[in-house]
Amino acid sequence: MILKGIGYVDEGLQIEERQNVAFASILARKNQNGETIGELIGGSLREGPLTTILGDTVYIGTGPGSWLATSSTKATDFADNLATKLAGRASVSDQSGAYCVTRITGDRARHLLQRGVAINLHPDVFTTGCAATTVIAHIAVVIWQIDISPTYDIATFRTYSPDFRHWLAHSWRSF
Amino acid sequence: MRIVCPYCGDRDTEEFIFRGEALGRHPGLNSDEYAMFEHVYHRTNLSGKTSEHWYHVQGCRNWILVERDTLTHTIYSARLAKDGES
Amino acid sequence: MGRRGESFMRYSIFSLARNAISGHHRWPRQWPDATPREAYSIIIIGGGGHGLATAYYLASRHRISNIAVLEKGWIGSGSAGRNTTIIRSNYGLHENEAFYEFSMKLWEGLEQDLNYNVMVSQRGILNLYHSDGQRDAYVRRGNTMVMHGAGAELLDREQTRRIAPFLNFENARFPIMGGLLHRRGGTARHDAVVWGYARAAAALGVNIIQNCTVTGFQRDSQGAVVGVETTRGPIRSEKVGMCVAGHTSQVGSMVGLKLPIESHVIQAFVTEGLKPVIPNVITFGAGHFYISQSDKGGLVFGGDLDGYKSYAQRGNMPVVEDVCEGGMALMPMIGRARILRSWGGIIDMSMDGSPIIDRTPIDGLYLNGAWNYGGFKATPASGYCFAYLLANDTPHETAAALRFDRFREGRLIDEKGVGPQPNLH
Ligand SMILES: Cc1cc2nc3c(=O)[nH]c(=O)nc-3n(C[C@H](O)[C@H](O)[C@H](O)COP(=O)(O)OP(=O)(O)OC[C@H]3O[C@@H](n4cnc5c(N)ncnc54)[C@H](O)[C@@H]3O)c2cc1C
Ligand SMILES: [Zn+2]
Repeated sequence: MILKGIGYVDEGLQIEERQNVAFASILARKNQNGETIGELIGGSLREGPLTTILGDTVYIGTGPGSWLATSSTKATDFADNLATKLAGRASVSDQSGAYCVTRITGDRARHLLQRGVAINLHPDVFTTGCAATTVIAHIAVVIWQIDISPTYDIATFRTYSPDFRHWLAHSWRSF
Repeated sequence: MRIVCPYCGDRDTEEFIFRGEALGRHPGLNSDEYAMFEHVYHRTNLSGKTSEHWYHVQGCRNWILVERDTLTHTIYSARLAKDGES
Repeated sequence: MGRRGESFMRYSIFSLARNAISGHHRWPRQWPDATPREAYSIIIIGGGGHGLATAYYLASRHRISNIAVLEKGWIGSGSAGRNTTIIRSNYGLHENEAFYEFSMKLWEGLEQDLNYNVMVSQRGILNLYHSDGQRDAYVRRGNTMVMHGAGAELLDREQTRRIAPFLNFENARFPIMGGLLHRRGGTARHDAVVWGYARAAAALGVNIIQNCTVTGFQRDSQGAVVGVETTRGPIRSEKVGMCVAGHTSQVGSMVGLKLPIESHVIQAFVTEGLKPVIPNVITFGAGHFYISQSDKGGLVFGGDLDGYKSYAQRGNMPVVEDVCEGGMALMPMIGRARILRSWGGIIDMSMDGSPIIDRTPIDGLYLNGAWNYGGFKATPASGYCFAYLLANDTPHETAAALRFDRFREGRLIDEKGVGPQPNLH
């Protein structure tokens, strides 16, 4: 049973709440794109519902010209640094307090998630580096796949995280 | 009914909000009163293939221009509204 | 009293007794299925409640009986036969409340007027409130109702509990604080309303023509409408009245009318028959859910529109889920009942959520529409006022505000105050 974000381990399924994750949203200014913005941070941000990893930061595509940057460096100046680097090409705002992140991994992770996600997570169409902004049980979520175990990270707005955990516990129990 | 969002892919209608017929641009503040009235209140509302705006609120948060049949719910095309009408 | 050899039996305790003795095998047909003539004084398009009521009031109140009602399917196959049968006069805006109160008074005398049991049941409507703000809004609405003679009572929590003890009063998020009770509201049997008007109109000589789809209009050299084209041939007429509800824009487009209307689908549900459990009509104030119990025992309930334009008479799953969640939040006992059927109907949502009974800009063509999800209760007043307009060319005083020009002139009748977004009304 997962409770109060402590985590749960079972054969083929591991659930944990990630702590101290920094978040920032990036919105491209007019005529800017993943390439011109990426230049300033040592790479190119992939366009589309995909992730780009640059250094210790994951950039998740959440819409045309928009990304959610996340890092577990615990740095309180994460968003400020990013804003300084991207000045003129993108607007950056700190979202660190806004989200909770749940990591689900193991053989049965996909099966569990598929009970709530109305998009296809089959490895042929959704694999490492893929991301989706969608809903689970009416709760807005951003999902991105970390590896082929498979491991998924799921960000929910902080105020909805108890509801999300409720869904998780309920779905897991009915396995 | 599912809509293939040009950014997000194949999604359930539940993720979208219907924003009505794709009316084209607002007639502008200097237009005559009648043009404004028509724009705000009149709809063609046909049974069959129509162009509509859908807002992908639980996804990429973009307005999508969708061609849909209002009788059969067949979806013919979906593209980002900001990319224009054609 | 019938024309052309058709006999109409007057229903009474004696006719009932006579037919009981003969084993109920000798009841005559309720009305004849007419074939179209070449011309009429007035053609009504649409054999739903409104079209038939219009024909009946034209014949009974204005002595015009050279009328045809043209229906593309069978009468009552549209929303008249698909609605959840609630009748009420509990609006907050004067223009609406005056009209719906007039309708309620007609409902109260309808069975005698039509000599037909339309099963009007004034079991009361209870609109629940769940916050102080909602209570204040209901106080204001109740005052409008009282001022129009409709009557309204504001109940507190305990008074509400006495009427409906099975409600979930302890809901932490949406506690029930009380309700606005409209005692004269209730239900009527939708099919009987259609049949009752059809029979009474036919008895006065009105032709009811089924399986006759209007496909176009005949115009004279000035552009005036002088008849219709149908799947059963052209029919001339001095005046044509549209009563096609969800298909108003479609028929309007045949003469190039642009209308402030969008067609949407709304769903309804019915459970298996149960013993009497729900005494009146109850609406949830914190979600989209309302319910009553039919005389057969089924729980009849519904909720919000599907939310997007539709001409398909069926609904989507997310709304099924939403309605059922609302039901479970309000009265958890409903979870024990099994749903027998669900269906959808097409409704003509307008830009301010209120109806239109008016002449169109085209001579000879009159329009009755924009009934939204609440046109069943309007049936008698709608027919009465539309008949008045068709006969006199001036609006009936009760419907004087329900006209096209209000949109252009900014005098909207927007109960919910949500603006020109039909799916939000
Ligand atoms: C699920 C549901 C629940 C509802 N609940 C309520 C409620 O509880 N209370 C309430 O007051 N209202 C309710 N309504 C709304 C109400 O049913 C409608 O507003 C009302 O019935 C519309 O008027 P009508 O009866 O004349 O329409 P309809 O019965 O739809 O009549 C229109 C007729 O026109 C015909 N027609 C269309 N095009 C043509 C053509 N080209 N040629 C010939 N004929 C044509 C159609 O076949 C149809 O029979 C509900 C509606 C639905 C769908
Ligand atoms: Zn999208």
